[in-house]
Amino acid sequence: MRGWIRIAVALASGLLVCAEAAAQAACPVKIGGVLPLTGSMAPITKKIAQAAELAIDHVNQGGGIKGCPVQFILRDDQGQPTVGVDAAKYLVEVERVPAFTGTISSGVTGPIISSVTAPSKVVQITCCSTASPFTLDGRSAGYFFRTIPTSKTQAYATASETTKRGLKKTAVIYVNTDFGTDMLRFYKAALTKLGGEIVIEVPYNDNQASYRAEVSKALAAKPESMLLIGFPKDAVTIVREWLSLGGPRTIALNNSMRTMDFVNGVGAKFVEDFFGMDNAQVAGPQVDAFNKAFEEKFKADSKGPGVHTQYDALMVMALAMNIAKDLTGPSIKDAVRLVHAPNGTPVGTGPGEFKKALELIKAGKPIKYFGATGPIEFDANGDVTGPALVWKVKDGQIVTDRTITIEEMQALFRRIEN
Amino acid sequence: MTGIFSYLVFFACVVLIFGVLALGLNLQWGFTGLFNAGIVGFYAIGAYTHAILTAAPQPQYLGNLGLPWIVGILAAMAATALAAWVIALLTIRLRGDYLAIATFGIAVSIQLVALNWEALTGGSQGLSRIPKPLSGVFDTPLAFNLWFLFLLAVIVGGIYVALERILRAPWGRVLRAIREDETAAVALGKSARRFRLEAFVLGSMLMGLAGALYVSFIGFVSPFDFLPIVTFQVWAMLIAGGSGNNRGALIGALVVWGIWSASGIAVTKVVPPSHAAQGAAVQVILIGLLLILVLLYRPRGLAGEAAVVSRHAAD
Amino acid sequence: MIGQALADGVLTGAIIALGAIGVSFTLQIMRFANFAHSELLTWGAYLALVFVGFAGPGTPTGPLSFGWQLIAAALFAAVLTGVVAWIVDSLVFRNLRRRGAHPLTMVFAAFGAALVMRNVVVLFWGHDSHFYTRELQIGVELLPGVRMLPDQIFILGLTLVVVVSLHLFLTYSRTGMAMRAMAENPQLAQVCGIEVDAVMRWTWILSGALAALAGVFAGLTPQLHPEIGFNLLLALFAAAILGGTGSLAGAVIGGLVVGLAENLSVLFISAGYKTAMPFLVLLAVLLVRPQGLFGEKQ
Repeated sequence: MRGWIRIAVALASGLLVCAEAAAQAACPVKIGGVLPLTGSMAPITKKIAQAAELAIDHVNQGGGIKGCPVQFILRDDQGQPTVGVDAAKYLVEVERVPAFTGTISSGVTGPIISSVTAPSKVVQITCCSTASPFTLDGRSAGYFFRTIPTSKTQAYATASETTKRGLKKTAVIYVNTDFGTDMLRFYKAALTKLGGEIVIEVPYNDNQASYRAEVSKALAAKPESMLLIGFPKDAVTIVREWLSLGGPRTIALNNSMRTMDFVNGVGAKFVEDFFGMDNAQVAGPQVDAFNKAFEEKFKADSKGPGVHTQYDALMVMALAMNIAKDLTGPSIKDAVRLVHAPNGTPVGTGPGEFKKALELIKAGKPIKYFGATGPIEFDANGDVTGPALVWKVKDGQIVTDRTITIEEMQALFRRIEN
Repeated sequence: MTGIFSYLVFFACVVLIFGVLALGLNLQWGFTGLFNAGIVGFYAIGAYTHAILTAAPQPQYLGNLGLPWIVGILAAMAATALAAWVIALLTIRLRGDYLAIATFGIAVSIQLVALNWEALTGGSQGLSRIPKPLSGVFDTPLAFNLWFLFLLAVIVGGIYVALERILRAPWGRVLRAIREDETAAVALGKSARRFRLEAFVLGSMLMGLAGALYVSFIGFVSPFDFLPIVTFQVWAMLIAGGSGNNRGALIGALVVWGIWSASGIAVTKVVPPSHAAQGAAVQVILIGLLLILVLLYRPRGLAGEAAVVSRHAAD
Repeated sequence: MIGQALADGVLTGAIIALGAIGVSFTLQIMRFANFAHSELLTWGAYLALVFVGFAGPGTPTGPLSFGWQLIAAALFAAVLTGVVAWIVDSLVFRNLRRRGAHPLTMVFAAFGAALVMRNVVVLFWGHDSHFYTRELQIGVELLPGVRMLPDQIFILGLTLVVVVSLHLFLTYSRTGMAMRAMAENPQLAQVCGIEVDAVMRWTWILSGALAALAGVFAGLTPQLHPEIGFNLLLALFAAAILGGTGSLAGAVIGGLVVGLAENLSVLFISAGYKTAMPFLVLLAVLLVRPQGLFGEKQ
């Protein structure tokens, strides 16, 4: 046994030393990533990881960070907090990443913030973790940002759309995680203020073979519409069982369902009366450029939860790292908000725009980044607000029904919170 | 080199926390033959008790009393011991694999209570800003982690010594006698049931302690920390290290967590990010294969010495 | 409301029952908690998908969403999965058994095998969901307030046929009787000259075949993905144990109890606790009858 132990220790030391030695050199600049590549989130993470890869490609094609190429080191958190924390700690200490992106589940993001990001003062930008307390209660000491609005935006917008369409007696079926309960809480607050009515709230634990029990319970309250908060795979089961059991076809969905996986899973001809919300990817040349680049590289549709926000998270990180005077945590943290300076020259997505941004930065001029999700402007807490959009399915395609501009959103916020 | 050192200190802390779990399991399985598949449930009770008592007060939660660290630790152990006692009373009569499923189900139920009872446990959002002991004094990550490693080493060392003592003392000898030949032990007037109960409670208390240590190390707790995979990991650690053997429990914790961690690192070195998803699947397959290999070629575990108790006693 | 819950419970229970039969017999005959059994459901479902990939699910026959091709696919998958189950045993478990491995070692080997089997599916098909057929059926109202899909009624009927056939097999065929004998008392059965190896082989093949059917039924209602078996694993074990291992009636009743417990519980408590119900029922049963409902007292 002694022999095996010696070999194992030698191998492990070798791995670690190589990693750290490489980390000492100035180039390449490493960026870390922690995502649930395996586990229950895996189906949606695949495209998110692809978006990350695209961003790194564009950054490298556009000139890299401080003249160095960028190396992206992506680790799997397996959906388990301890594994995620270990991965983040490794990236920060051994690979010495100046910044990293991650992760999705707040059960994993939370411990990473409290045991790695805040103590080690390293910038973390997440594409997808929406639990509101992370930015609001000061635990991250300002080092945590997200390119996705918290559930508040989506929930308020959904409530507004629900009342606008005159939907009554809504049954809410929601995934029993921080994401689901967060959304539900904001939705309920908003809907009550706006005059709607929730007849029943039914949580569901994910990864079950059947949701007939939950669906039957919701149907027993005789609803006229349904709000489904969750993720595509289980949502397909729930919606199919709902429709089969005779549930009303007016179904509101959250942003994760805005993907062809969901539409095809349920069947395009059955979803005509559904509508969904999303944080608006403001239509525009930057968004189109991103969609096109994604589709070209991966031969797949760019729609899906987290795809655009992940791209933006990494682009913002790369821009901030170029603006920052050095690659230490505090400098990068301060530079993040300069990515969208009020008087800056607009720069968009793609390698060409990134190159343009680098030239402006070199000349000391401010930039204003418009990404795959529109203008990325972080508030004092590290959150973004944004416009919202209402989507639906027409002739088998996901189309935007209408957009809710930032001004309308802000008016809505004021109305609900006062 | 400070980077690697800093990471290793952190890694060692996690290993020691797992080590406490494995030592608790060893007492239940290695020395008493109780197939506890609900480890993560006791881990959760300890963790949440500590969190609820020590976290800073917030209006929407029932608990969050802001009490000192040591109170949280002791309360965690007490709460877990109490829960274990009740659970043992209900399940101790069950034969091996039935006990496993029963304890598994109890752990699942505990996790669901943590998930659903928002007012007490924070629900799916979890509880945050759990104070780390003496974090005011040791204010850099490396300093704090070193101090915590020292604390853990003292605690684990203490537990190890205490366990070795107890197991060589009369109580431990009766336990082994019951394992080796229950009929004879009972004939001599020893209540097998009582000893099993005590071993179960004591082992679970250690698991609760591990939970409290974990949350005071990380500073955050949520129901997602207590999924069945943790139970599986601790079992793997005990089996790989050698059950019936306290040193084996600790070695197993190091080896299994080391494999888990290193396989993740290795995947990033070998597989480009574009294939990260397949790489991750391969990592999981590797972990599975490694476990099978250890079982096939070193069935008594890596610590390799003669188990203190005969293996046949479990059937 | 109760009517619907009962109907849903029976349907879920039927699928769990088919999967639990294999678990029950391996637990009893081989004293082995095979945690890789759920992957046999997954493999069965995906093997049927391969067949459907070639032959198509068939045009919807009558009120069903599929044609005879899906049935053929299910049978094809059942046979193949039975063989797969036997192969996995030969490669992994039999070696360990021969060496007198500890039951716990076997459990771990099963976990390892399950991880491998599941991720092989992921490697080939990825994490995305697949479907046998794209039809979406609307439930028929059998009784006021009770709806079921024609597909589900068919599944129930087929399950009944399978269970009855299995019962006849176990009661009247030589191999079946040998299996029951081994389940009741392995040592005595050996002394009576029963070929242990043959019985074990049949146990694996039957377990695999039944699991495959359960997998196909689960995949039909309504989608397939690599975790489809794994998500049912604990329900399968809970059902097998509460029914009493080694008993066909036990596994079937156990499955139904688990299905009903889940579906009826949401009428009274939050659906957030639904996944704990199989265990709570199991605990209650074991408290009163530690050997399970139909199990043999040790």
